[in-house]
Amino acid sequence: MTTMTLKRSDADVAAEIPDRSQAYRVAKGGLVDRRKLLDFSFDGTSYKGFQGDTLASALLANGVHLVGRSFKYHRPRGILSAGSEEPNAIVELRTGARREPNTRATVAELYAGLEANSQNRWPSLAFDALGINALAAPIFAAGFYYKTFMWPASFWEKLYEPMIRRAAGLGRAANAPDPDTYDRMHAHCDVLVIGGGPAGLSAALTAGRTGARVILVDEDFKLGGRLLSENQWIGSQAGVEWAAAALDELISLPEVRILTRTTLFGVYDHGSYGAVERVSDHLAVPGAHAPRQRLWRITAKRAVLAAGAIERPHVFGGNDRPGVMLAGAVRAYVNRYGVLPGRKIAVVTSSDDGWRTVTDVLAAGGQIAAVIDTRRSVPQEVRRAAESAGATIITDGYVAGTRGHLRLKAIEVVDSYGGAQTIACDCLAMANGWNPIVHLDSHLSRKPVWNEDIHAFVPAAMPLGMVAAGAAAGSLTLAQCLATGADVAADAAKECGFERKLYPVPSTEAESAAHTPLWRSPRIKGKAFVDFQNDVAATDVELAHREGFRAVEHLKRYTTLGMATDQGKTSNLAGLSIMAELTGQAIPSVGTTVFRPPFTPVALGALAGHHRGKEFRATRHVPSHAWCEENGAVFVETGLWMRPAYFPRAGEKDWLESVNREVNTVRSKVGICDVTTLGKIDIQGRDALAYLEKFTANPFGSLPVGKARYAILLREDGIILDDGTIARMGENHYVMTASTANAAKVMQHMEFCRQWLWPEFDVQIASISEQWAQYAVAGPKARDTLRGVVDPEFDISNEAFPFLASANITVGGGIPARLFRISFSGELAYEIAVPAAYGDALWRAIMQSGTPHGITPYGSEALSVMRIEKGHAAGAEINGMTTAADIGLGGMLAKKKDYIGRLMKDRPGLTEPDRPTLVGVRPVDTSKRLRAGTHIIALDATPSLEADQGFLSSVAYSPSNGHWIGIGFISRGPQRIGERVRAYDPVRNEDFEVEICSAVFVDPEGSRMHV
Amino acid sequence: MSEASANVWAPRSAWAGYAKPGRHGRSQGEAGVRLTLRDGIALATVIAADGQTDALRALVSERYGWTLPEPGKSQVSRERGLVWSAPGQWLAVAETRDALRELPDVFRGIAAVTDQSDGRAVVRVSGPNARTLLEKGVAVDLHPRAFQAGRTAVTSISHIGAQLWQLDDAPTYDVAVARSFAGSFWSWLTEAAAEFGYEVEQGSAH
Repeated sequence: MTTMTLKRSDADVAAEIPDRSQAYRVAKGGLVDRRKLLDFSFDGTSYKGFQGDTLASALLANGVHLVGRSFKYHRPRGILSAGSEEPNAIVELRTGARREPNTRATVAELYAGLEANSQNRWPSLAFDALGINALAAPIFAAGFYYKTFMWPASFWEKLYEPMIRRAAGLGRAANAPDPDTYDRMHAHCDVLVIGGGPAGLSAALTAGRTGARVILVDEDFKLGGRLLSENQWIGSQAGVEWAAAALDELISLPEVRILTRTTLFGVYDHGSYGAVERVSDHLAVPGAHAPRQRLWRITAKRAVLAAGAIERPHVFGGNDRPGVMLAGAVRAYVNRYGVLPGRKIAVVTSSDDGWRTVTDVLAAGGQIAAVIDTRRSVPQEVRRAAESAGATIITDGYVAGTRGHLRLKAIEVVDSYGGAQTIACDCLAMANGWNPIVHLDSHLSRKPVWNEDIHAFVPAAMPLGMVAAGAAAGSLTLAQCLATGADVAADAAKECGFERKLYPVPSTEAESAAHTPLWRSPRIKGKAFVDFQNDVAATDVELAHREGFRAVEHLKRYTTLGMATDQGKTSNLAGLSIMAELTGQAIPSVGTTVFRPPFTPVALGALAGHHRGKEFRATRHVPSHAWCEENGAVFVETGLWMRPAYFPRAGEKDWLESVNREVNTVRSKVGICDVTTLGKIDIQGRDALAYLEKFTANPFGSLPVGKARYAILLREDGIILDDGTIARMGENHYVMTASTANAAKVMQHMEFCRQWLWPEFDVQIASISEQWAQYAVAGPKARDTLRGVVDPEFDISNEAFPFLASANITVGGGIPARLFRISFSGELAYEIAVPAAYGDALWRAIMQSGTPHGITPYGSEALSVMRIEKGHAAGAEINGMTTAADIGLGGMLAKKKDYIGRLMKDRPGLTEPDRPTLVGVRPVDTSKRLRAGTHIIALDATPSLEADQGFLSSVAYSPSNGHWIGIGFISRGPQRIGERVRAYDPVRNEDFEVEICSAVFVDPEGSRMHV
Repeated sequence: MSEASANVWAPRSAWAGYAKPGRHGRSQGEAGVRLTLRDGIALATVIAADGQTDALRALVSERYGWTLPEPGKSQVSRERGLVWSAPGQWLAVAETRDALRELPDVFRGIAAVTDQSDGRAVVRVSGPNARTLLEKGVAVDLHPRAFQAGRTAVTSISHIGAQLWQLDDAPTYDVAVARSFAGSFWSWLTEAAAEFGYEVEQGSAH
């Protein structure tokens, strides 16, 4: 750092030694509670403020203007505004897990113990090493990154971007989990009022008095909007008193809900709105059980947009110097917070209302250095206060530049004769007219229109049900705010079915909104900023113009104008107006860019709410879950389900050993597996069979009551949709299962068939997936095990209850149950179902009954191994690309009935003889491990796409065979049994010989199921 | 496996493992929410047979004195009732399993009846903050001008499919979710209720 020669004088630093005694707080006045003194710190220095302060007002009360460094040039920045539009005073709040970057100091409510830090500076705010960037400003102009960091391309991601990001940085997020909770609320109303200023209060009162359900949303912690910041009278009351009385009345109306500290951040379709309530942001730590923030989804029949307006800065050299502020903000600090932002305050105005600043500053005991009005003539009554105070008044003049380093020391003013003079001041108030907040009404892709009277964009076509009032509609005076707010709210209430009733609007003082904006000073000394937050200067707009990026969207992207977190609230129009001037167009011809939600940044935690960590999405538990947990099951997520994957026992060294033991136990003794996750569907009605016959591809006409059958379902295009079983429980009553993964899809398909394809059928279907706990009990000892739980009157012998039998039975002394003799494992097997409340009991009873037979619970891993050993297709084979013939079930398809997919399954491509078809594969060297996804090629082939003959879809270590086995799709596979081919796996670099074999590796005759 | 087989066959509450009876959340003052676990409740899906809706309407009126609820409506008296749940489809509810046992026979040929008593986890939500609590999760307007006793909504809460019906103007609601989701639903419910303070109590058992 020693080689750096930063242009800064020691005097600048000395002037910045903060005064910690609230020396800039005026003796009385303001809406802060002076009895409640609050300690806080900024960059490690302790200060004091009052309850009712924002961090910005408390810092200004202590004479602290320098609060941050700019994004690109690291220029010293102060506090521009007193609201949510703030582009400069962006700080990091709190510490540890609650550390929160990029908070606007102007809306951060002060609380005792608040810790704030400036960001984007190193090593300190007053001495920022990267301030050198400011000296290099010419090379950091718009498009700099695009032009400079072009080559080599790979450097962008790895080097340039991280480097730029570190240098630019916008604060640091906490690096520990957020300790707070975020709530969510849905609300509905007749009339939503957005904004609690004079127009919003007037609207809320008018609508609320009709009895309509009203929600009033305001981002501030205190209702009143500009009434809190201006010295204005309504009738015989001060504006602040009127606002307080309005609040009292609103509270008394039972159907009015008031949400303060709540930002309405987005407008969505059909009258829905997003808002975030900062429930506990004004506290060090949320109260017990209180959320940090609450996300509101509001549905409103009508909405009154009374969001107000944002004041426009002037564009002149050094307009970003700490101490240069919006005039309305100066009045806010003086009137609302009782703080003088400077000892000697100058005003540069293009509007009548800028002169109000003079009156307010003088009333608070401040000194006016000068008033510069950019207009030629200023009405006498507007000038009067400044004149009687003896202030220097310059009309038809402008500010060209500023002096000072870390704090404004003087302004350089040009008068109407072109004469320059330097005027000492430590605060400059800018008044250049107001822009209605057109963000929210633009969220649904509606463009605002230019209003020549107020030199600003105003809402045009509004979202359905929304109407603007007050300053947001371009009606800028207090009288207009009160009147339009009441008027549109009366209409809105009427449209919701309430009586339209207008109350007399109270009188207000004469007020002028006259202004003639000066889009930029004719002569500029130094860098004149348009977009403070993204460091876009007037010269960048000129550069964009010179280089052809003249269309408004190009201007935005080339310069990043308006792309910061403030979405250009104070900058967009300045940029547009300069481009209009350069291109010789009118401002509306340049157009506007798109405003998108959110209006101000919203914490992701607020959007996520409850759904984070394990609650990111819901979890489904099987009926045996408690037992499985008690017995150390290892679970696997299958969709939303938590399924037991395997049940390790002490001494087993890995999952494979446990799974092998489970498989061996099932094949030699007995096992139990929770298959509740299967979709289960109840089918009833006179036409149940006719309906079944249509949507299944294999015949069911001959299925008698008391029997079950494997079922194949095809899609319309002939591809397999799913497989399952259908059992006939009564004459017109069937129960069907679908695979776990496809349960919802099958139900949806069946509803579609019932409601849309064949509405003439008398058939009723209901999901019973959740009603029945269902377990597979498999193995040679399955019957002996079940005998212990099935009530004695039911004969389950092989003769009475053979393979594929089904029945309604009872267990445990009268508990209704369903028994199906079906087998996925290839062993003697049953699926037994009971109402889910008895699922836990049935599982425990079967474990108890099976103990003498050596029963083991088995999980989804062993289940999968056994189905691969039997060559049964599952999700990897029924993958949305295969036909019944592909998985070897072509012969099962019905010949004599029509069904979904019948014709399309015979398309040429699907019946092509070379089509890969399901077969088994075993390694020639049985020590080799097969891998799913491995490709099959001929022994002598050179690996290539053309040489590819198929792939393995599922593999498993088969304890029954003592080596790895696989099933997969191989071209003409069934004709090639015994042929040797290569298992080629370029992903894992494996290539070895395998033999094509039958897909059935265990009990090929299928005799075990029938014993 | 040494326990006597007699006590193995006890039903398990859908809320078991998640819900703990007693006072939770904010501890000061009266609990804002009362959560009553409704394990004993009997439920059955009733789907009118093709063209039999009028016959079903006549039958329920004659036999039970109920009006077949229109879409979005429910009719639950103290013992039994019907809650609309889909076009041509209702949920029969009763305080005891016995109360619904006759339904398949009574409705034979007119409506299909499918037992769902164990398929749903049901909780009764009452207390001064009951409505506010549900408004946190339910996108449907529950304001008394829009939703009263005798109304039902098939909706979702916390991304979990749910059906709720309002029983009285206190207001009291029964909320049903699929049984396998009980744990996730309870997690949302109790986090949302914590700020009000909530009391969990066991309703009638099987």
